[in-house]
Amino acid sequence: MGNSALTGFPQTREFRPMTGAAKTSALSDTLFSTIVRLSGLLILLIVGGLIAVLCRGGVAAFHAFGAHFLVSRIWNPVTDVYGAAAPVFGTLVTTFLAVVMAVPLAFGVAFWLAEMAPAAIAGSVATAVQLLAAVPSIIYGMWGFFVIVPLMASHVEPFATHTFGHLPLIGTLFSGAPYGTGLLTGAIILAIMITPFMCAVMRDVFVSMPAVLRESAYGLGATRWEVMRQVTLPWSRQAVIGGVVLGMGRAMGETMAVTFVIGNSNRINWSLFAPGNTIASLIALEFPESPAGSLKLAALLALGFILMTISFLTLAGSRMLLRRKPATSH
Amino acid sequence: MNQLPSSMSVLHDAPSTVSTDIALSVRALDFWYGEHRALKAIDLDFPRRQVTGMIGPSGCGKSTLLRVLNRMYDLYPGQRATGEVVFDGRNILSPGVDLNVLRSRVGMVFQKPTPFPMSIYENIAFGVRLHERLSRADMDARIEDVLKRVALWTEVKDRLRAPAAALSGGQQQRLCIARTIATRPEVVLLDEPTSALDPVSTARIEELLDELKQDFTIAIVTHNLQQAARCADQVAFFYLGELVEVDSAGQMFTAPRQRRTQDYITGRFG
Repeated sequence: MGNSALTGFPQTREFRPMTGAAKTSALSDTLFSTIVRLSGLLILLIVGGLIAVLCRGGVAAFHAFGAHFLVSRIWNPVTDVYGAAAPVFGTLVTTFLAVVMAVPLAFGVAFWLAEMAPAAIAGSVATAVQLLAAVPSIIYGMWGFFVIVPLMASHVEPFATHTFGHLPLIGTLFSGAPYGTGLLTGAIILAIMITPFMCAVMRDVFVSMPAVLRESAYGLGATRWEVMRQVTLPWSRQAVIGGVVLGMGRAMGETMAVTFVIGNSNRINWSLFAPGNTIASLIALEFPESPAGSLKLAALLALGFILMTISFLTLAGSRMLLRRKPATSH
Repeated sequence: MNQLPSSMSVLHDAPSTVSTDIALSVRALDFWYGEHRALKAIDLDFPRRQVTGMIGPSGCGKSTLLRVLNRMYDLYPGQRATGEVVFDGRNILSPGVDLNVLRSRVGMVFQKPTPFPMSIYENIAFGVRLHERLSRADMDARIEDVLKRVALWTEVKDRLRAPAAALSGGQQQRLCIARTIATRPEVVLLDEPTSALDPVSTARIEELLDELKQDFTIAIVTHNLQQAARCADQVAFFYLGELVEVDSAGQMFTAPRQRRTQDYITGRFG
């Protein structure tokens, strides 16, 4: 009986010198693996090339101003003196504020969608979240300019100044004229833009949590908050942080929407209502007026290099954060 | 709390003469998944400090019944139950029931071990903290006690702070049982607790059930008929959403009253 099973193998499976068809298939396999390998290398090449170009283009600025470039607040095309401090400050502040606003919102929506919302509503809200992510940033910019800015100028900022303006320490944050445009408005637009990204990532992990794990927690008599806080969040921590970093990256690099509402002023001001600037919006605005070979262009490229470095450090930092803590609570 | 010796509670005659006091009493229970009626007019009593085994082919409704007893189905829209489940003098299906309290008094263990993403110690402390404020020493004592009861203490006492996920499958399931009894429930529901375990781990869990029924009322869903015969005092056979027969284990596996029961336990279907 065993014999018949063995002799049942087709003859072509014996080892023989390779014929035409076999050679072709071996060749196509080699071709395939080569293409795949090249694709991988291409990515490395692109990243490396980007850094090299920014570095080479910006080196003149670093050469002219040295480390002072990083801390100087002056940006004066007339005297040809440039410093990165103001746009770097604006980038960090708007990104930070946007993340602070967006994370709880994204988390709340994601948790509600995954755990509590009735199926019919959850479907349409989830679609709306995806649509929000698909809105081009220029639309957000115009909408921000025509809706958010007047709202900030006429209601939010006067109210905040009136309420918090004279408090010690934090009062400064809410002082100044209510222009409507400024760091806070930029951060709000950014928060709206990055919420759907974070939300989508978080919802996916929440949904992928095994049902029995949730049920075990509920089965011990835990409330929704306790389940979320003590089981869902630790279980999904890695992906949640991943989603937050993704949103942060987008907030840092976002250009058009911010340019509309941030006020485009190269100053560092501790008031959240003061006009400011971000690296991306400064580059977008000044690039057309920077002739090739000029020190200004070099300064802009150097700013691009700084932005990339910040993004890279954020990514690296989150990786380290994730690696350091294994899945224990103590 | 009247403590009947377990020998007295082994029944050799009809279920209608069950005389021990009843921990949970199911009356005229219907259950729907949307439009699908998964349980049909179930009447079943769970005698206190006994093991009730629930058997039947897949999809017969035995796990569904288990999920009614702690209202786990409430997590899912579209699932509903009608009828009565009387526990501690009240119908737990009525809307005013505090589910968190109910679930702390009717604990549940699942098919697969479900350790939380935290340490062994915290896996148990988590559930206890939801309902009680214990001093550090009391918490330590509680944790030692339940780990000893599930015969896990000697294996884990030196690594209570290690992640629970590092334990073997059998150890994880015993941890889950420890976690469940640490909140001091009156009833423990087990949904095929050994289906993902090897024979040795399975045997240990079965021994554990004998221990646990000194203090807890146990309802266990199992596909393993030998397991039901070994562990259960009372066995309920479900088929297509109906409770076909409920009897003492001895009666059920030697002389079932119903033809369908006989066919199932002799392997003619299912």
